[in-house]
Amino acid sequence: MSENNLLEMRQIEIQFPGVKALDKVDFFMRPGEIHSLLGENGAGKSTLIKCLTGVHHKDAGTIILDGKEIQPQSPQHAMEMGISTVYQEVNLCPNLTVAENIFVGRQPMKHGQIDWRTINRRARELMARFRMDIDVTRPLSYFSTAIQQMVAIARAVDVKAKILILDEPTSSLDDNEVQLLFDVMRDLRAEGMGIIFITHFLDQVFAISDRLTILRNGCLVGTYNIQDITKVELVTQMVGKDMDAIFNLKRPDVAPGTPDRLTATHIGSPGKIDDISLNVREGELIGFAGLLGSGRTETAELLFGVTHLSHGTIVLTGIGENAKQKGNKKIKNPYDALTKGLAFCPEDRKRDGIISDLSIRENIALAVQARKGFLHPMSRREQNALADKYIAELGIATPDAEKKIGELSGGNQQKVILARWMATDPRVLILDEPTRGIDVGAKAEIQRLMLEMCEKGVSIIFISSELDEIIRCSTRIIVMRDRKKVAELDGENCTQEKILTIIAEGAEAAGGVA
Amino acid sequence: MENNTNSRWQRLVKKLTNPKYIMVYATVGILLLIYLFGSIAYGNLASDPKSNKGFNTVRTITTLFVDNAYLGISAVGMTFVLITGGIDLSVAAVASLTGMFIAYGTTELGINPWICIAFSLFVGVGLGLLMGWVIHYLNVPPFITTLTGMFLARGVCSLISAKSITISNDVIDALAGWKVYLYHLKDGEWVKIKPTAYINFNIILFLVVLLVGIYLLQRTKFGRNVYAIGGNEQSAKLMGLPVGKTKVLVYGFNGLCSVLAGIAFTLYVKSGWNLSLQGGELDVITCAVIGGTLLTGGVGYILGTFFGVVLKALIPSLITFQGTLNSWWGKIATGLLLLLFIFIQKVVVSSSDANRKKNSQTAEKRIT
Repeated sequence: MSENNLLEMRQIEIQFPGVKALDKVDFFMRPGEIHSLLGENGAGKSTLIKCLTGVHHKDAGTIILDGKEIQPQSPQHAMEMGISTVYQEVNLCPNLTVAENIFVGRQPMKHGQIDWRTINRRARELMARFRMDIDVTRPLSYFSTAIQQMVAIARAVDVKAKILILDEPTSSLDDNEVQLLFDVMRDLRAEGMGIIFITHFLDQVFAISDRLTILRNGCLVGTYNIQDITKVELVTQMVGKDMDAIFNLKRPDVAPGTPDRLTATHIGSPGKIDDISLNVREGELIGFAGLLGSGRTETAELLFGVTHLSHGTIVLTGIGENAKQKGNKKIKNPYDALTKGLAFCPEDRKRDGIISDLSIRENIALAVQARKGFLHPMSRREQNALADKYIAELGIATPDAEKKIGELSGGNQQKVILARWMATDPRVLILDEPTRGIDVGAKAEIQRLMLEMCEKGVSIIFISSELDEIIRCSTRIIVMRDRKKVAELDGENCTQEKILTIIAEGAEAAGGVA
Repeated sequence: MENNTNSRWQRLVKKLTNPKYIMVYATVGILLLIYLFGSIAYGNLASDPKSNKGFNTVRTITTLFVDNAYLGISAVGMTFVLITGGIDLSVAAVASLTGMFIAYGTTELGINPWICIAFSLFVGVGLGLLMGWVIHYLNVPPFITTLTGMFLARGVCSLISAKSITISNDVIDALAGWKVYLYHLKDGEWVKIKPTAYINFNIILFLVVLLVGIYLLQRTKFGRNVYAIGGNEQSAKLMGLPVGKTKVLVYGFNGLCSVLAGIAFTLYVKSGWNLSLQGGELDVITCAVIGGTLLTGGVGYILGTFFGVVLKALIPSLITFQGTLNSWWGKIATGLLLLLFIFIQKVVVSSSDANRKKNSQTAEKRIT
């Protein structure tokens, strides 16, 4: 058995300040297999991978690659030994050309000079293998994220890797592109490469993997052949509790005649959204479905005052008790929106959400403090109380409120951001992709929190690319397409099939529900 | 297909229309415009022959290089630093220090000038490497680190002498005085160009540094790593590039360029003065920026910087031709030029963003 393995990681232990990130984890991999690595956020997937790529150093255990024990010191060192990684965020240089991104650091040389001709030719060949006909001499920034991701994979593949680690490579790809990636992965498997595949999309795990390994809380749960496990078993193993309770969420019902809380009539801004009308009632959860770039985020930004309205009106009803304005219902800017009881949790957690060097406490207190104004600083005791309250309420996994938010896992970071906006006691909460890139358990947790808030009378606008969760949680669903609202569905009409048809072909094709 | 001239032309056109060269084209375009303006106002294209003051002569160009070679040498090194996303404020002080070493060493102490130059190189490159090391390994912002380097070098200048020292040394005199007159073929005979134009040691030094700079940036792994670091330092690290080593070497190379610029400047003015070249680092940065180098890093070409130097040098030259304007107008014109280029950069960057958005949208539309 042992001599068949391409990679053996035995009894790996890694200790971080305050937590045992990995506790005696075994991970074995055969040549020519696609092996999925699964677990919730904070389960230790990234830590295990970073241990293999030399970013973290193990405290105990052995790593054997091709029968030889190795001690990866740095990503560069790991790469030299044949371990390549493609990360979730495209880790390439936007200013370099596609060809150069593939070859930088290992350029073929000729007469003491870089052989640009060979680089460009080989890059073209590589991209052709990925069925992509693009001009490889253009800067990477010229291309879409999907193509950039493919370039990253091309680079990783071309270094003659024995092991290719794909860390959430599909999160920015559409279906066609995912299929393309899978084709490439199958080709590579046939060549005997071992591929470690990390993803949150369980369908993809079942579509491509040969085996899978599940981690939970830094411990190994088990390694399974793909035929020997069902999806429900898999999720149960990952979460460690019965999924029924989590999947049995009840979408908030709103009695007819419930007053509107926010009514937007024909609002728009040139270049963003032309014209959209919508209303949100008390305690209602409105789901926004549609593809990336369909205008979901742009609408949210209009409502929150990030983008100036060029026409149309937004009327807020029954809110503004704590607002400074008198009778003025217009939203001028985000600060104004905040004082009027709106809250907006933006899409890009890393860029617009967390302030990674500040503690959890400071991150939570931020929005409340901003609303109070900086002339009325919150006392340390108030901040502590606030932070402790939400850490307990949302189940944020941390030793204390002073830990830097950047050191938390994605799901926990998201909970902190959610806490920041919940703390402002909003009447309307806009959540843009709050569950992106976090695991099943944390997703369910966040969905449960949203529904609890709705029960307390908060209105929520929920934007997500995952139809499942939109359908599961929303009272009504607004479908966006090409920067227009093309349909508004409720009750029985909210089916996956219907929404997909509308997204793909427009509302008319689906029977004109708009 | 490789030998097909048609496809070769197509490839050349494709290569030249690559959006990454836009900034360099902008520099060349504005340079040509200003040269055209000069030609109309004070050159061969003047409507009134009396106002032709000989702007379109070779001499105008060679004089421009004689007067600005030191600036160009330093700008080559600065381009490297700016491409990594850093900045170096110590260059003018180090150049000035080089002048002090040479002037004080040869004239006051009677040391062989070659030893003075070697010592300057040792100090300048050493300081550069040290600053690079501090920036990368101690993670101190380049601005602060090189500001410290600037004060340090400037302080040592004044420590050596608070007075200007005029150099009297045979070797220095010979180097400074060495020149090659330019000839052209006239009626089957080689005769000196009129008005006389010459190339001196500084121009040759500038051209050598320029070629070395282009070779390093475009043809070596080191140069490409410089671009990668400027594009995204974190990515460069994850791609396994030697980020730390490259950054240290970049500041070392810039130190080398500063010393060479100092040598050129010393030969140009034949003296050392502790307060010379004050604010010169900003002139150097200006040249790189109007040559298309982005201060945010990742983008820039030595050739662009070359045109930037010429463009910046052309303005005082034009004011000299004009004859009555106060030379401070040169500063104002340079300021306006800088503003214009920052504006162009802004437009180029935002239009490339828009381009990518467009591309990604078409990609997203392909759904099943």
